[in-house]
Amino acid sequence: MSLRRALAVVCLGILSGLTAPRPLAADPAPTASREVFDTVVDLIRSGDADMRPVAMEKVRKGLKGEEFTRELAEKVLPGLKKPEDQTALLAALADRADRAALPGIMALAKGQADASVRTAAIRGVAALGGADDVPLLMSLLSGDNASGEAARGALVAIRGTDVSPRLVTALADKDRPAPERVALVGILAERRESATLPALVAAAIDPDATIRAAAMKALGTLGGPAEVPGMVAGLLAAQAGAERNDAERALVLVCTQNRDKEEAAAAFLTRFQAADPSAQESLLPTLARVGGPAVMKIVNGLIASPDLAQRKLGLTALSRWPDATVKDQLLDLIGKATDEEERRLLLGGLIRIAPLPDNTLDPAQKLALVEQTMKLCTRDEERGRLLERASAIRTVDALRYVLPYVDQPSLAESACLSVVELAHHQKLRDGNKDEFMKALDKVLTTTKNEEVIDRANRYKVGKTWERKKAK
Amino acid sequence: MAFDLATLDAPFTALKAFNWGSDANAFKPIDAAVVAAHGDAALRAELEKRFGQLLADDSSRATKEYVCRKLAMIGTSASVSALATLLPSEDHSHMSRFALERIGAPEAAEALRTALGKVEGTLKIGMISSLAARGDKASVPAIGGMLGGDAKIAAAAAEALGTLRTPEAAAALAGAKADGDVAAAITDARLACAESFLAKGDRAAAKAIYESINAAVGAEPKTHRERAVRVAAKRGLLATAE
Repeated sequence: MSLRRALAVVCLGILSGLTAPRPLAADPAPTASREVFDTVVDLIRSGDADMRPVAMEKVRKGLKGEEFTRELAEKVLPGLKKPEDQTALLAALADRADRAALPGIMALAKGQADASVRTAAIRGVAALGGADDVPLLMSLLSGDNASGEAARGALVAIRGTDVSPRLVTALADKDRPAPERVALVGILAERRESATLPALVAAAIDPDATIRAAAMKALGTLGGPAEVPGMVAGLLAAQAGAERNDAERALVLVCTQNRDKEEAAAAFLTRFQAADPSAQESLLPTLARVGGPAVMKIVNGLIASPDLAQRKLGLTALSRWPDATVKDQLLDLIGKATDEEERRLLLGGLIRIAPLPDNTLDPAQKLALVEQTMKLCTRDEERGRLLERASAIRTVDALRYVLPYVDQPSLAESACLSVVELAHHQKLRDGNKDEFMKALDKVLTTTKNEEVIDRANRYKVGKTWERKKAK
Repeated sequence: MAFDLATLDAPFTALKAFNWGSDANAFKPIDAAVVAAHGDAALRAELEKRFGQLLADDSSRATKEYVCRKLAMIGTSASVSALATLLPSEDHSHMSRFALERIGAPEAAEALRTALGKVEGTLKIGMISSLAARGDKASVPAIGGMLGGDAKIAAAAAEALGTLRTPEAAAALAGAKADGDVAAAITDARLACAESFLAKGDRAAAKAIYESINAAVGAEPKTHRERAVRVAAKRGLLATAE
């Protein structure tokens, strides 16, 4: 055979090897692996808790090949008797990261299995699935608590570029039940993808109040300047009461706490200025909570207006100012007030801002302002509120100021609450131990509030107390 | 620049008179000389000579400990003899081994092997431990022969063989008859050998050990330890099979 012919034969051999049909599924498992697989399956089926981690380690990192994955997911998994064996295998299959397990896992997610097994299966779908599995997970959102919560978590965690667009499309579908759409808003918020913000903005003016509220809450966390116009529309669409309060809080957060807050505040002001008078009336109290010189100019203009309604609007805005820079103005206006309602409104604002931790006053000045404000209070309700607010001034002088009020029956509970609030701060408490111990003893002989009693007892022995998180 | 040896005379005099509670700053220059001896063979030899003299003298335990610590850093075969004389001493054996464990010269291992056959009790356990720490495969037959004796020595021998992990060590462990703590130490050592064989690709040797342990522990282990051993053996068997 000539050299050329020999080369041609070799090349043909290589090419035929390259083009030969390959099996679609994974290559048949080698005998040795099959033996290991059988051993692993025996260990899983034995229900032996000691051996479970050994078997699952192999499922996670050994036994290469789709064939094994399918067999584990479709034959072994559904036949296991103990839920803990099923959940362990589901977790291991999820970590194995082989999508061949998906059909078997989905069957359990949809089925009537034990709740722990179903939630583990749903988590498995999240780990292995993609956009095509979003409908299944959405259908489980309205299931029982455990499944619904697991499906929600799965929709937050599931990867894939098409996942969020599908969730957005589902959110826009007004035929879907409102609770499901509310859940979708929360899921999109937790996925934190900026591309989905327009969908949340659209949801902020949905006809359904629950969806609007959820969208505004989500935007309060994620929103920036671009979302402000939509959030303003959402605020205007919100019903008075809790929905409006929450919407207002969300918009204020975007303008005072979130990224590019200054731009967001400017966008809010621009939107306010472009709004019609009735909308402006509605938006001004919120805008005042954002503050700033331009807003102050508007507020002062309104206060100076001969129109009583305009003046009241300005005073309301001033009473909601975010810091103590307006204290002198408030004191001046309270001093001049002839209308009791107007006086109470302004005093309420002063009580709120006097001890604010983010203003420019030092603690002694804050306490002086609290004392000054106390002299202006005419009702115990106002005095009590001020005493509670005084605990924001974290000094021993604040304790000394508040403590005598424990002896006044009408203000005792507010004063007791303020004392334990001050005692909550360990450094302050430990640095003035004798005074705090005596104060806490006094609280314990006075208060009827069980939570305050619990807190006082804890602080006395150096323990801490965990504040309940607002839902 | 050559190290000025004259500067060491006073510190060595101070070291000779040293005892716990004395001022150790007096021989700080010796610390500096030890550092300088890295890369200075002549200085090293001089220091080893002076240290060897201190070990041979009637110096305090504190002095000898100091010397052993320094020889652990710069010692060569030249210091082995002086250190070896301390190996049978209850007071000095430990620090002598501390140095010999770290001296790379084969003479150091030989000294430990020789002492292994001469000392008893905790000193023998110390020799076993130091030989294992050196990875001295030549000591496997001697250590293997101790698996059937005193329980504490046998357990230390098993642990050492589990550290050395040679086929001979595994064979010695497989042939040992023991119970209680010694049996547990032997099982642990055998598992260590199997793991080492598996890591080196000798699946057959590893599998034989795992199968033997798995069979010995039985299908229904009673104690927590037996359960743990069974898990380890089964896990190993799976690793050898795939």
